[in-house]
Amino acid sequence: MAKTIMVVDDSASLRQVVSIALKGAGFDVIEGCDGKDALSKITGQKIHLIISDVNMPNMDGITFVKEVKKMANYKFTPIIMLTTESQEAKKQEGQAAGAKAWVVKPFQPAQMLAAVSKLILP
Amino acid sequence: MHINVQQENGVCRLQMEGELTIYHGQEIRDGLIDHLAANNEIEVDLGGVSEMDTAGFQLLLAAKREGTRLGKVVRFVSHSQAALELIDLYNMAAQFGDPLLIPARP
Amino acid sequence: MSMDQALQTYIEESRGLLEEMESILLRLETEPQDEDTVNAMFRAAHTIKGSAGLFGLDAIVSFTHVVENVLDKVRDGELLVNDALVELLLKCCDHIGLLVTIVAEAGEALDTEQAATGEALAAALKSMIGGAGVLDATMPAVHEARLDASGGGQLEGDNWHLSLIFGRDVLKTGMDPTSFIRYLSTIGDIVSLVTDDSALPGLSELDPESCYLTFEIEFKSEADKQTIEAVFEFVQYDIKLRILPPPSHLAAFIDRIEHASGNTDMLGQLLIEAGILTSHELDGALSAQEEMMGQDSGAKLPIGEVLVKEGVVHKEIVDVALEKQRQIRDTKAQEAKFVRVSAEKLDELINLVGELVIAGAGASLQAQRSGDVALHESTSVVSGLVEEIRDGALKLRMVEIGETFNRFQRVVRDVSRELGKEIGLEISGAETELDKTVVEKIGDPLMHLVRNAMDHGIESAEARVAAGKAAKGTLRLNAYHDSGSIVIEVADDGGGLKKERILKKAVERGIISPGQSLSDSEIYNLIFEAGFSTADQVTNLSGRGVGMDVVKRNIQALRGTVDIESAEGRGTTVRIRLPLTLAIIDGFLVGVGKSAFVVPLDMVLECIELPETDRRAADTRNYVNLRGEVLPFVRLRDQFEVNAAAGKRENIVVVQYGGQKAGFVVDELMGEFQTVIKPLGNVFRHLRGISGSTILGTGEVALILDVPALVKLAVAREGQMTEKAA
Repeated sequence: MAKTIMVVDDSASLRQVVSIALKGAGFDVIEGCDGKDALSKITGQKIHLIISDVNMPNMDGITFVKEVKKMANYKFTPIIMLTTESQEAKKQEGQAAGAKAWVVKPFQPAQMLAAVSKLILP
Repeated sequence: MHINVQQENGVCRLQMEGELTIYHGQEIRDGLIDHLAANNEIEVDLGGVSEMDTAGFQLLLAAKREGTRLGKVVRFVSHSQAALELIDLYNMAAQFGDPLLIPARP
Repeated sequence: MSMDQALQTYIEESRGLLEEMESILLRLETEPQDEDTVNAMFRAAHTIKGSAGLFGLDAIVSFTHVVENVLDKVRDGELLVNDALVELLLKCCDHIGLLVTIVAEAGEALDTEQAATGEALAAALKSMIGGAGVLDATMPAVHEARLDASGGGQLEGDNWHLSLIFGRDVLKTGMDPTSFIRYLSTIGDIVSLVTDDSALPGLSELDPESCYLTFEIEFKSEADKQTIEAVFEFVQYDIKLRILPPPSHLAAFIDRIEHASGNTDMLGQLLIEAGILTSHELDGALSAQEEMMGQDSGAKLPIGEVLVKEGVVHKEIVDVALEKQRQIRDTKAQEAKFVRVSAEKLDELINLVGELVIAGAGASLQAQRSGDVALHESTSVVSGLVEEIRDGALKLRMVEIGETFNRFQRVVRDVSRELGKEIGLEISGAETELDKTVVEKIGDPLMHLVRNAMDHGIESAEARVAAGKAAKGTLRLNAYHDSGSIVIEVADDGGGLKKERILKKAVERGIISPGQSLSDSEIYNLIFEAGFSTADQVTNLSGRGVGMDVVKRNIQALRGTVDIESAEGRGTTVRIRLPLTLAIIDGFLVGVGKSAFVVPLDMVLECIELPETDRRAADTRNYVNLRGEVLPFVRLRDQFEVNAAAGKRENIVVVQYGGQKAGFVVDELMGEFQTVIKPLGNVFRHLRGISGSTILGTGEVALILDVPALVKLAVAREGQMTEKAA
């Protein structure tokens, strides 16, 4: 059974491209357009990895990560934060919240796949 | 994770179904401790293990050692693909000493 | 879902975001800014940029990056919103819209005008935030495993050794060692892996969420250390990582340390520069060093020892690095002993010293004439000191020729490869000093001679072996001081010059007339004539139209000479003779009629009176008998057309240059004299036999004789006369 990755970002096109890449690599993908939307889509199913943007409307990435880490079924799920080079502070904040991995925006699909494969296999 | 328990000729058969991962570590550990205390021979069927991570692996290894320490038999059988892959990656088949069915690699 | 569809989504999304930005901007003109609206605007730019990166739309990434930076400053309150900024940002929205239409939708590039508009906008934005703080938004390249410059293939068993000691809590962060180990096999081969479970406690003490395993891995990979370290970047705070390079890298590492730039004398930085240590490892070792100090409460352990102790770097490497560190420090210490002075100041000083020498000579002359013994004595003390000052000042400009010679190591290596010949370079006399200005100008002629020797002088390995010589040719650069000159030799052990061929060619080229009889040395020197080339083949090295004649001209311009010695089958030596300095010489002052001439003292052998018999005979022959030797001479009176009757007595100044002796017939011997060379004005350039002028203490001008030219002249004339006589 394919493993499932959740992609949370307010850019629909980013989600689409990342989804295409991940599905191409053999993963299932759940999309969330912000932290709040993503939380509502976490309904007890197995999620192996979460990729989340930091700056999003409604609920930002840091808050979202903190919420996920509180959930018994997801507290050990690895999380990749999407940061920018100017957001070193945000990266630190994300790591403190429990998102240990990161990918710097803008990135190419191959870079995302490399980061994912350091964490889970399809 | 679900563990089926069967008693047969003085052998306790544990059938593990589902994820042998960190999420269920506590529960699996406690189950193993209990069964080890109550039985002299345990056979753990790993055929239903869909996923296994380092936490799960450590539990199996600790159970095996605990058995040896207590002079009891702990045996793992019917390793699933997920279990085999991890034991192979960690190069630990010898430590378990159980016969493994290594599937031909594609 | 396809990428095309995703791109369509991106275009629509971007347009929506741009509209949103625009309406926020228009609102900002009238309403005060609040955090949410500014943040929304920032996010819009950020999203447009981030997604553009996924589609590889670099033009959009780089422009929106600048916009994002400005909005970031606005958001942080560092930049205030005013009409000008709103105006500018609105234009930027338009430009991004244009980029989306042209670059994303049509897949084309902006035309020149549009691109210029973009650049102007970006520049205006950058000026808003003062340029600084704008990070370069180049797309990070897709990760590629960089080849390690270890040279050669990897040997069997030549593996990296990785030791992974995971932190207890690593599993709790969602990171599993398995995935990193699996990822590792995408950049190389895991040759063997040993799992160390000795820390695993009994089942009842075991915390199922903790990690107790450590791993020792033999890893075969072409990747470099940074790449391997990067595999574990997501667990960098939860792992103790040791990466030991394969044994074959040791030599390469040592080589890299030895060729380090010398910019740093810190051991750690040195190792990082050589690619042996990563900065992450150094940080780790530094904190370990602190800890160790805390434990022993003693002295700080040297970082080198810490690195070896922690198993980060091989001991051999640390030893080499320590040696290099010592060298760098030595060099620095030596540098510290030197004062850097601009060449201009030095030249000024030497000029002044020159004037001092002249003035001193004047004072001495006056003292001598006054007959005041005490005055004469004082001036002679002053003269002595002036002489020392002169020597000292000139020494300031003296440099060893070794540095110039050493540059040829590389030239010889490269050129011999290019030519497919095996040639070694031997250097001697590297410590020989000469004036900096001379050194600077001798490089080109030397380069030409060296290339020429390698190209035409040294034969191919086959030819050498056939001739019974070692296959490897040798080129020698040598320097030494010889009677006030520096001699530089470029010698090869090649085939030597072939006289017949030179003669034939010289006749062909009309340099000499057929049947002209020439000495060996004269024949060899023909190759310095304009338009002469002896090589049968014109190679791309020396056959570039710049002939040996140019070499000769360059050397002559330095008041030097060049000559050749050659033995067929055994090699050729080109000998360059140069004055040590171009500024001041010790001269010997002579008088002819009322004119004064200076002969550089170091070329003067002796002075004799021209015997009456020879004086009379001198009208018919240009030589005298000097203790049984034929000494050709030049009458300066005739040579320089001095219109004054000869004195009662005449003297001969015997000079030697380049192994040849000649005499100058003069009226008066006026003694030694220090003199500063003033170059002749252009008007006098054509004067043969004069190399410069100087001003005497009396204010009179004396001409400095060009001894090499005059000696040559005398020898040639004498030869002609002898021929006629024969």
